[in-house]
Amino acid sequence: MTPLNLTTIDFSWLAILPLIALSVGAIVVMLAGTRVDDEDSAALGFIVLVALLAAFLLTMFELGQNTAAFRGSLAVDDYAVFFEVIIIIATALTVAMSLEYAADAGLAGAEYYALVAFAALGMLLMAAAGDLIIIFLGLETMSIAVYALAGFIRRDAKSNEAAIKYFLLGAFSTGFLLYGIALLYGATGSVRLTAIHASIAARTAVNPLLLLGLGMLLIGFGFKVAAVPFHMWTPDAYEGAPTPITAFMAVAVKLAAFAGFLRIFFTSLDPLATEWSPVLWALAVLSMTAGNVIALVQSNIKRMLAYSAIAHAGYALVGMAAANGREAGGAVLYYLLAYAFTSLGAFGVVVALDRGAESHAQIDDYRGLARDHPGLAAAMAVCLLSLTGVPPLAGFVAKFYVFAAALNAGFTGLVIIAVLNSVVSAYYYVGVIVAMYMREGGVAVESMSRRPGLLISIAVGVAGVIALGIYPQPYMGAAVNAFASALGRPALHAVSMLP
Amino acid sequence: MYADYGVPLALVIIGLLFMAAMMGLQKLLAPTNPFRRKLMPYECGEPPTGSAWINFNVRFYLIALVFVIFEVEVAFIYPVATVYLDWIRRGQRWFALSELLIFLFILFVGLVYVWVKRDLEWIKRIPDQDSVN
Amino acid sequence: MGPLITFYALALLAIVSAAITAFSRNIVHSAFALFGALAGVAGIYVLLGADFLFIIQIFIYIGGILVVTIFAVMLTQGIADVNVSNRAVGVLPALVTAGVAGGVMFYAIIHSSWYHARPGSATPTTYWIGDAFLGPYVLPFEVASLVLLAALIGAIVISRQEVRE
Repeated sequence: MTPLNLTTIDFSWLAILPLIALSVGAIVVMLAGTRVDDEDSAALGFIVLVALLAAFLLTMFELGQNTAAFRGSLAVDDYAVFFEVIIIIATALTVAMSLEYAADAGLAGAEYYALVAFAALGMLLMAAAGDLIIIFLGLETMSIAVYALAGFIRRDAKSNEAAIKYFLLGAFSTGFLLYGIALLYGATGSVRLTAIHASIAARTAVNPLLLLGLGMLLIGFGFKVAAVPFHMWTPDAYEGAPTPITAFMAVAVKLAAFAGFLRIFFTSLDPLATEWSPVLWALAVLSMTAGNVIALVQSNIKRMLAYSAIAHAGYALVGMAAANGREAGGAVLYYLLAYAFTSLGAFGVVVALDRGAESHAQIDDYRGLARDHPGLAAAMAVCLLSLTGVPPLAGFVAKFYVFAAALNAGFTGLVIIAVLNSVVSAYYYVGVIVAMYMREGGVAVESMSRRPGLLISIAVGVAGVIALGIYPQPYMGAAVNAFASALGRPALHAVSMLP
Repeated sequence: MYADYGVPLALVIIGLLFMAAMMGLQKLLAPTNPFRRKLMPYECGEPPTGSAWINFNVRFYLIALVFVIFEVEVAFIYPVATVYLDWIRRGQRWFALSELLIFLFILFVGLVYVWVKRDLEWIKRIPDQDSVN
Repeated sequence: MGPLITFYALALLAIVSAAITAFSRNIVHSAFALFGALAGVAGIYVLLGADFLFIIQIFIYIGGILVVTIFAVMLTQGIADVNVSNRAVGVLPALVTAGVAGGVMFYAIIHSSWYHARPGSATPTTYWIGDAFLGPYVLPFEVASLVLLAALIGAIVISRQEVRE
C-alpha cells in the first residue's frame, strides 16, 4: 500500500470550492438561525444568496477546464458548469421569491433556507458527478431536503399530503436507483462512469445483469424527472408544496435529475443505446400525451403547471431518445435551459397571486389580471406562450432544435406525436391568457413594489425567455459545447487508467 | 475465516438452546395453577390499566430519528478510527485529522442546532405570537 | 458443508420473517418480524466475508432502523384496535408485479456472468474501508456527513411538535 497523499487521491480545490461555498453557507445559516427569530429570517435568505453568488463565481473558474478530480469522482467540465450555472440561478431565484412569501406564509426560519442550500449542494454534486456514488449522494442530499421543504407548511393538510407522497414515492424510486447502481457495479466491477463505459464497450454479449441495472436506473430517473408512468406523485406534490418550492421542484430538481440522467446514459451506458433508446421513445410519448391531455382539465394552476412539467420532461426525452450526436445532445441541454427560465417566470407569477394563507391558485383567480396588473399578466402570457412554443420565444427555439435533431436521427413518428402534443398544449396555456385578458373578475393582488425579490425573479425569468428566443446562437453554442465536453472527456479517460 | 465466527455462533446457538431447555423444563415440572391475578402483567405491583398497545408520543420518534442519524455517523467514523494510527505513522496526520474534524464538525453543527432550538426537549415551547412584547 | 447449512438456515430465517412482515394481519407483528429478516441478512453478510457490513447491519438496521420502525408503528392511529391493520389490497396486481419482477431478476441471476470470490478467503474488511474513506473516497465520506446533516434538519422539520405557551 503506497502512502497516500493529496496527489494520489487527485485532490483539487477547483472542483470542490463551489461545493464548499454552499456547504459553508448552509452551516452559517443554521448557526445564525439559532440567534435569529423565525420572523425576521429574510437575513438568512441573504446569506444563502451570498453563498450562491460565491459558488457561481467559483464555478466560472471551472469553465473550459475539462478535467476530472478525485480520481474521476468529480468531473470539472463545461457540462457540469452548464448545469451548475442554471441550478445556481434557479436556486437564487427560489430564495428571492421566498424572501417575502416565506414570512407571509409563516414558513420562515433557518431550516427553510438551510434546506434550500443543502438541496442546491446535492444538485451541484449531481451535475458534476463522475461516479455513481457521487450521483447517489447528490440525489439523496437534494431529495431529503426537498421532501422536507415540500411539507414545510405543517398546519396545511395539502402540504403534508405533498410531503408524504413525494417522500414515499421518492424513497421508493431512490431504492430502484440504488439497486440499479449496485447491479451496474456487479456487472462491470466499477462505479466510475468511464470505467463502466470501458467495461461495457469491451464486451460483445450483453450481460442480463447489466440490462436489469439499466432498467432500474431508468425507473429511478423516470421518477425523478417525473416521466409517465412514474409521475403519480407530481401533481399532488406540486400543488401542496409552498409555491416557491414548487418552482424549485419543477426547475432545479428536474434539471439536476436530467443532469445525472444524461451523463450516465451518454457517457457510460451509450454502448447500450440500442436497448434504452426505444424505452425512452415510449416514455417520451407517454409523458407528452398524458401530461398534455390531463393538463387540459385542470382548474388549479399549480396542478396544470405540474402536468405541463410532465409533458416538458417528455419533450426533453424526445431529444434524449434521438440524441446520437453532439448537436442533438446540445439541443436537449438547450431545451432544459429554456424550460428552466420559462418555468421560473411562470411560477413567479403564481407566487405573486398566492398569499400563503389564502392561496389564489385557481385558474379562475387569474380572470381580469391584465386590467389591474398588466405587468404580471404580460409576464405570465410571455411564459405561457413560450411553454406552448410560439416564436420568437425560448420555448419555440428549444422545441425547434429538439425536433430537428430528432428528425435528423430518423425519429419522424416521434416528432409528429410531439408536434401534435404541442398543438394540444396550446389549448390550456392560451386558456389562462384568455382568462387574464378577456374575462372579468379575479382577485386583489398586493402591489409588486413591496416585493422586490419576487419582482426580480419574474423579470429574470421573462428576460431569459426573450433573450433565449431572439438570440439563441450563443446559448445553443454553449449547450453543444457543454455536451461535447461530457462526451469527449480527454482527461477523464487518462485518470481512469490510474490503478 | 469462518472459524472466527464459530464462537459467537456457538454462543447464539447455546443461548437459544438454553432458553428452550429452561422453558421446556418449566412446562414439564412446574405445577399449573393459573388464576386471573397471576396472569396479569407485573407493573410495579399496581394493577395495569388499559392495553400496552397505545399511541406513543411522537417525541419518541423524533429522538429515535436523531439517534439513528448519529448512529450512522458512528458507522462512518469507526473504520476510519481503525486505520487512523497507521496514517499518523505514515506522516499523514494532519490530513487524516482535518478530514475527521470536518466530518465531525458538520454533524456537530446539527447537534448544536437541534439543541439550541430546543428540539431535544420533551415539549418544545415556542412563545405565542400574541404574547411577544 | 457447514457454511452451506448455515446459509440455508439464515436464508430460511430471512425469508420466513419477511413473509410474516408482508402477510401478517397485525402491523405490530409485522414490525417485530422484521427483526428476523434483518438478522438473517446480517448472517449472510458474514458468509460473504463482509464483516463490517455485518456489524453495520446489526448496529444500524436492527439497533436503529427497527427501533424507529416500531416507534412509527406505535404512532399509528388505530394501534389500539388490534387486527385492523395491514389489510392486503390489490392482491392480483401485486402478484403480477412481484411475479414479473421476480422472474426477470431470476433470469438475470441465472444468465449473468459473475465475478467469483474464492469462498472463505475473505480478510477483515474494516481496515480497507477506513483506508478508502481517508484516501480515494474522501469526497463521498465528507459528503455523507452533509447528507446526514440535511436528513437531521429534514427529520426535525417534519416531525417536530410545537406547543404554544
